[in-house]
Amino acid sequence: MSALDRARFPRSVTRRQFLSRVAAGAAGAAIVSGARPARVHAAAYPDWIAASSKPPKSGGVVTRASAWDPPVLDPRLTNSVGLSQIATLVGSRLVRYPFSDEASGTFDLTLKGDLAESWQGNKDFRVWTFKLRPGVKWHNVPPLNGREFVAADVKYCFEAYAKEGVQAFTFQEIEGIETPDKYTVRVHLKAPNTMFPQNLAEAVAIIFSKEVLEEDGDLKKRMIGTGPYVLKEHNRKVKAVLARHPDYFDKGRPYADEYHILSTPDDATRKAAFRTGQSDILWVAAASEVETIRKTNPNVQAMEYRSGQTPFGLALAQDKPPFNDVRVRRAISMAVDRQKQVDTIYEGHGILGWGIPWVYVFDKVPTAAQLGPWFQYKPAEAKKLLAEAGHPNGFETTLFYYEYFPQMSSQVQLVQQDLKRNLNINIRIQKLDYTTFYGRYVEGKWDGMAWGFKTGYAVALDEQAYQYMHSKSTKNYFRFGDATIDDLVTKLRQTPDKAEQRALARKVWDREFDQVFRMWMPYDAGYLMYQPHLRNVGATAMRRNDGYGASTLARTWIDK
Amino acid sequence: MYKYVIRRVLMAVPVLLMSSLIVFGLMRIMPGDALTALMAESGNVGEKELKKLRKDLGLDKPYHEQYLIWLWQMVTLSPGDSIFTNEPIPVALKKAVPVTLELATLAMILGLAISIPVGVLSATRQDTAPDYAGRVVAVSGLSLPDFWLGTLVITFAAIWFQWIPPIGYVSFWEQPWRNLQQFLLPAAVLGFRLSAATMRMTRSTVLEVLREDYVRTAWAKGLAGRIVVYKHALKNALIPVVTIVGGQLGTLLAGTVIVETIFALPGMGRLTVEAILFRDYPVVQTNVMLVAATLVTLNLLVDLTYAWLDPRIRYQ
Repeated sequence: MSALDRARFPRSVTRRQFLSRVAAGAAGAAIVSGARPARVHAAAYPDWIAASSKPPKSGGVVTRASAWDPPVLDPRLTNSVGLSQIATLVGSRLVRYPFSDEASGTFDLTLKGDLAESWQGNKDFRVWTFKLRPGVKWHNVPPLNGREFVAADVKYCFEAYAKEGVQAFTFQEIEGIETPDKYTVRVHLKAPNTMFPQNLAEAVAIIFSKEVLEEDGDLKKRMIGTGPYVLKEHNRKVKAVLARHPDYFDKGRPYADEYHILSTPDDATRKAAFRTGQSDILWVAAASEVETIRKTNPNVQAMEYRSGQTPFGLALAQDKPPFNDVRVRRAISMAVDRQKQVDTIYEGHGILGWGIPWVYVFDKVPTAAQLGPWFQYKPAEAKKLLAEAGHPNGFETTLFYYEYFPQMSSQVQLVQQDLKRNLNINIRIQKLDYTTFYGRYVEGKWDGMAWGFKTGYAVALDEQAYQYMHSKSTKNYFRFGDATIDDLVTKLRQTPDKAEQRALARKVWDREFDQVFRMWMPYDAGYLMYQPHLRNVGATAMRRNDGYGASTLARTWIDK
Repeated sequence: MYKYVIRRVLMAVPVLLMSSLIVFGLMRIMPGDALTALMAESGNVGEKELKKLRKDLGLDKPYHEQYLIWLWQMVTLSPGDSIFTNEPIPVALKKAVPVTLELATLAMILGLAISIPVGVLSATRQDTAPDYAGRVVAVSGLSLPDFWLGTLVITFAAIWFQWIPPIGYVSFWEQPWRNLQQFLLPAAVLGFRLSAATMRMTRSTVLEVLREDYVRTAWAKGLAGRIVVYKHALKNALIPVVTIVGGQLGTLLAGTVIVETIFALPGMGRLTVEAILFRDYPVVQTNVMLVAATLVTLNLLVDLTYAWLDPRIRYQ
């Protein structure tokens, strides 16, 4: 989970702000409508918006009030969602996931060429060859001045990523890069990885320019890419203006002339901006919020967004007592009533929680039963198990967290209550500010419990498995130390066959749930709302269209 | 008078030094630093690399050394760059200060325009309907927090009028009308809150002054009520009011983060809070010192105003 702008989630207001806004919103709706906001069943809104059948129109300005305001534009320094809302439209990747007018649904993860026209791994998947599109132009902005994009640019960028910064772990996997001609990039990996292209399709793997890095020494202030939009203005705490790239390689696109991102940190203000037409796109947490807004703006459209995974869960210091005892972990997991969290906090719309996106393992959303015995709410069995583990009277521990969004505090408190009531485990909760939380959490030397996270941008299976679960990975936030998992995730990246990959992913999934290495908690990414004149605005590839999945807005058009 | 001013200015030096020590110390006590905020969450940055980056930014130096370097930067009025964004701090301040200054000024004007007349009306119509109404408004202003009032205002403006201030700050010099639209509501929210305390103070001091002998003499001379109240009573009643207003102005300039956040204004409040959260030491320290210096100056100006309001006051 990335969060420079701490908002990283648009719902990241303080609890106090959240309560006041809920009160204000509810009061407003009640006065206007004379009734309380009804609880709306999730199925009231479609969970996918198919591409418009009309011929697209060019022109106009799409505007979005955004919670996020990236302090810097350097993709080596941050993988924040705030940066991605800009970078994924200004920059391009070698490969990408489908856009809204290409995808068959939110979970369509078919790789498409972006800067690369084709890609191919060698026999042992240690060498990947990418054939680039000829004639791709950098933005016509100094010092690039619209020069042609070539293979050497990829080599320079990947080497710079590997050298330092937040992407280093992914790119240090590269042993060397060859550029036999202007349009061919050959990447040699240190170890076989059948899923390497997927990692390059992540929102954070955009290609930046050599010239800017060499002139400025960093990429903090200028972003020049080959993407559908040129960053025309970035005035922090005010707005970012993205203007159509006239020489974009995908001719005729993007459709909108400009995309304006208005820095709007307050949740109520973003809603007010949407209501008054100052913002075209809005994400809200619950169906009742959708209804409240539709009472005053009945024509606005909504999409129910179904999360494919949760980024958050209970992380335990499982390399230390008492959490190094699997019976303790299982007991804790069984003592938490997750369904209650879904029903009360997420209005029945959230998922129960799992780490690897279900699409890599199952054909449809897994049921609670498929999450294994230790995921079921069975307080009596949990108490028995904890007693067997030598803690019949419970114990004392701590839990620290950073409140990404207001619902999280409610979840933490419900877990505290469940564990006290069912296992007599007394938890002292510490709510920390962002920097303190991350400093402590990522260092990985804490005791007790944390409300843990994994980075929010990832879609790729390799990132979700090897990079988050291997004991030697720097992204091993949950402190895995399991040889079986290490073997499985290593084998997974060496397996080219999709069916075998799926079987292996299932084994990883089962092992994780059996050993309760990560105690996932319910999560919901909410609802997309948009003005009725927008077309092709659906969120794709398991990503909301306001942050990591913003590149899909290149296909959005205004039907006016 | 001049000796008094010089003495006050000299007295400000230890105050500012103490402020600098406190803000420097507090920032270092807080866990984490800018690099933690910026990079560590990715988990991809090794400890060795973080050490190197800290060295590049001078964060590895002993605290006393860091303090002295920063102090010298303050003395020479060259506060350096943000370690988070690399933006020169004067540039950041140049963008943020006018926003807060405009907001504070408008709020103060609106606040005074409401509070002084209503306070006087309450005092001169003591225990009548206008007095009760004024007191209710004042208590409401004191009771309603900014975040709640601001949220209500923006939500109901959207629902009832399908209008909210245009988002995306523009300066008054670029687009005056758009700028005023952006500042009117936030200034009203702040001004309403400010007016409450001023209104109550005006009412009580005017009530007190109206019972003074010289006011009775003025009435006895047959002066018009307006002259008695506004010329004789109000001016002498203003000393405590000025003290309050001076303090309020200082608070406003220190940053009105909640209102700036709700109305998406890029002022000092947002700049400072973001810098605190990201452990951007130079920005926080500079902002705090700027606020401290402003408060010291305002207090001095308030004290000097006393003599103008009441010629009996002499500075020794």
